[in-house]
Amino acid sequence: MGKEESPRITRRTTRSSCSTPVANNVVETMKTSDESLTTNDLVFGEDPITLDDLLSSFPSRRAQILELVRLLGPSNSPMLPLFIYGGPSTGKTSIILQTFRHLNRSFVYSSCLTCYSPRILFESILNQLMLHRKNAMNGYSSVKRCEKPADFVNFLREALSNVINNLMGNSGKLNTKRLVGQAHGNTVYLIFDNLELVRAWDKSSTILPFLFNLYDVLKMPELGLIFVSNTSPDTYYSSMGYIEPVPVYFPDYTEDDLRQIFMRNQANRKVYSSFLDVVLRPFCRITRRVDELSTAFAPLFAKYCEPLSDLGVVPREELKRRLFSHLQPHIASSLNEVFKISSQPSPEAESNKEMKQKGSRRRFAGCEEIDELDFHMSTSAKYLLISAFLASRNPATLDASLFDSMGGFDNRKRKRKSSQKSLEQKETAEQELLMKGPGTFPLERLLAIFQCITSVAEGSIDEEEQENEGLGVQRGDGGLMSDVLLQLSSLCNANFIIKGGSCPLEGSTRYRSTVSEEMVLKVARSLKFPLSKYLYRR
Amino acid sequence: MGREKAAKEALNLLRGRLCDPTFVFKPLSDSPESNYSKLKFIISSSVTEACNNSILLLGPRGSGKIAVLELVLKDLLLEYPDMISVIRLSGLLHSDDNCAFKEIARQLCVEHDLLFSKMASFDDNSQFMIAMLRECGLAHKTIIFVLNEFDLFAQGKQRVLYSLLDAMQSITSQAVVIGVSCRLDADQLLEKRVRSRFSHRKLMFLPPSKEDLERLLGHILSLPLDSTLPHDYAVEFNAKLQNMLADEKFKQTIYTYMNSDATVNHLLRFLFRAVSYMDLGSGFLALENFKTALPNIQRQPKLECITDCSILELYILVCMKRLEVKEQNSYNFNSVMTEYKRIHDTFQTSDYYARNVCLRAFEHLQQRELICFTDNRGHNQSVEFRPVKLLISSYELQQGLKSYRSCPVILLKLMDREA
Repeated sequence: MGKEESPRITRRTTRSSCSTPVANNVVETMKTSDESLTTNDLVFGEDPITLDDLLSSFPSRRAQILELVRLLGPSNSPMLPLFIYGGPSTGKTSIILQTFRHLNRSFVYSSCLTCYSPRILFESILNQLMLHRKNAMNGYSSVKRCEKPADFVNFLREALSNVINNLMGNSGKLNTKRLVGQAHGNTVYLIFDNLELVRAWDKSSTILPFLFNLYDVLKMPELGLIFVSNTSPDTYYSSMGYIEPVPVYFPDYTEDDLRQIFMRNQANRKVYSSFLDVVLRPFCRITRRVDELSTAFAPLFAKYCEPLSDLGVVPREELKRRLFSHLQPHIASSLNEVFKISSQPSPEAESNKEMKQKGSRRRFAGCEEIDELDFHMSTSAKYLLISAFLASRNPATLDASLFDSMGGFDNRKRKRKSSQKSLEQKETAEQELLMKGPGTFPLERLLAIFQCITSVAEGSIDEEEQENEGLGVQRGDGGLMSDVLLQLSSLCNANFIIKGGSCPLEGSTRYRSTVSEEMVLKVARSLKFPLSKYLYRR
Repeated sequence: MGREKAAKEALNLLRGRLCDPTFVFKPLSDSPESNYSKLKFIISSSVTEACNNSILLLGPRGSGKIAVLELVLKDLLLEYPDMISVIRLSGLLHSDDNCAFKEIARQLCVEHDLLFSKMASFDDNSQFMIAMLRECGLAHKTIIFVLNEFDLFAQGKQRVLYSLLDAMQSITSQAVVIGVSCRLDADQLLEKRVRSRFSHRKLMFLPPSKEDLERLLGHILSLPLDSTLPHDYAVEFNAKLQNMLADEKFKQTIYTYMNSDATVNHLLRFLFRAVSYMDLGSGFLALENFKTALPNIQRQPKLECITDCSILELYILVCMKRLEVKEQNSYNFNSVMTEYKRIHDTFQTSDYYARNVCLRAFEHLQQRELICFTDNRGHNQSVEFRPVKLLISSYELQQGLKSYRSCPVILLKLMDREA
């Protein structure tokens, strides 16, 4: 890890180039800003790598790399626009950039993720082509101000022909001796990454056809266009129609590919391989994305290695079995977690958790239920949360009967014979609840419910009320209101309650509670609050 | 070694040809019946007779409208060097009136060595254009306006089209407006005042016939004998090529490909791919190159997406399909989850995961664009509650499941039951 923290400033890094060993070979010194850029800066900026290095640094991407190299062709050969697509974290961007490093040709990379509007995209391309770097001297301004495709085409044509003339001059001059870092060939490639994001732009209906037609508009054989996208070409079809670029597909990694990828750069390959034997198959049933799997595997591997005293050991059958039985309880629980951030827990908490997880192992199929809340909250905030939940769940018309002076709703009254028809009704009502999600409510209703349930709670559990006196559960006075509003806004910030748009009829802000029933039940249990009494069951 | 160098040169040459539409369309333009001859006649007559004219070139995308027009313009510029100036506009770039007039003024300035002012207003530019038209008319010089993506100029107020066509009504001006569009109803989009000033001459561009196609293949792929390439290599290359072109299997490959779209550009993409697969060691094109190119260029993106899915994602897709078959008119993540649980309860599947894991899988599906939200506006609502729909048909899903390497049997059974 220490290696990667060294100040390595290269012009281009991708997410995975940090993990590719070839990228670590060269540490390019930072260019000072007063040094003027030359056309040589349009290449990757590090020592070129051989094709074998390229192939070995991306396991199981051999076919795609060879295909790309073939389609890019020998130097100085024209190319139809390419369209590279495949799921996230399949190595599209890294491979195209490393391929250019291998070929050592000039290219301009711009990602539609960072260039989030046409203007920024155009200016970023022009800046790179015109060898312009934003700095304090020029007030961090772009070389050209350009917003419209029409201007962009004119500027681009000018800039490209300049660059190409430069490159031609270079190659003519240096035929006898090749300089290091000199670009091969006079073709300039424009790479557009994350193209799928353009569809969400305001002017996507004009920008996308423009980008796809850019090659025909410019009519320059020395220009190569490469589009990189997460989504397949058919998602770009529109009523406009366009000439489809040449597709190159990067499929998701298979289980065997993933094994090869995870086996790279492992200190003890034997141990890791036996670890992968255990975890890879079950996890692949859920997701085959490298990034998600690696975050899931890191803590599991640490767990796996716990019984090992010496990490360099060669595991034998018996040891493997022991390690497996040690790891097994954790697999099931981590399969059902999206991602877990482990805070550094104290030793007691650790052992506590251990016990808990043993308990919850058996019922991992459902949601992981831990009886305690894993965060702290003041009592009034808890009551507020419960009342928000009730306001969202219960129909407003039933409030009066639910919160009458007796406190609570009499469940016995509602018992009826369940005829076929009422069953059907129930089903549709359930469906509706699933579809509609939690209802919205105005602030007044929330406060009224809050008042009701706190007063009931005061009546029933006096002692607790004594303790909580300072927390604002007091009989109706002004202090309580301000406190509650403060709590409400902090609950909104914590995303437990969503502040929705205003109601068109009343014009007041409406709220919506997003907490799940299990969570509210937990909260209610911690308060010993009889939640089920107030919950309207359909 | 010499052979490899020659092969590289040949590859560069072929790729260069495939990327240059004017080269490709050359052989299709020699007959008197071709669009090339018709277009050339119309334009040259209006140049020599000093009259105004307007014409529409219509045809599907990639049928070579612009390429043929460029060929004609190139020839005419050679024939009448000082009598023609060409202004090129594209609907993709200049559909905005302001932009269009600015670009016209800029190109006129470049053509006639005048100083172009960036600050000029819309009015200045349009008046400048009309003045230039008059001047050029007096000097017996024809201005040819090429409006690519003509249909896009017909959006909005059509001020550009109106002022162009209106200026052409006077006898002093001398201009030709050529609209190029892939919309066959492009002239119906025009406003009445514009349409009445338009000549309604139309030229249709059709995909090539089979004979033309074969001629085209020979023209594009055979090497010239009078170039820097070694003579015996070129002869051998051409002989092998002729053999291959006559091969019935080769024809079959080409025709299956052209079935989906018969335009020339579509063919070029395929040839480009096949030519890039050429083996530089032997230096000849082989039938295998074309055979490997075919599946690589005719992709089935939805099927690929399904085979990329994890098993959990397949479960969710099948659940959604079942909900659709049940004629539930709208459903969201929650209803998918109840269906998922129901399947688990009835069949005791081994793949039952927690809700948040399913939610992540659900979001993956949405990223893959196999499913999408039915509404665009509900941004303040959480993902679970927004109604969704499938973007694949049940046939596609079934095919996908069948081609999936280790698809759970239960899913196949469930899908079969639906069908």
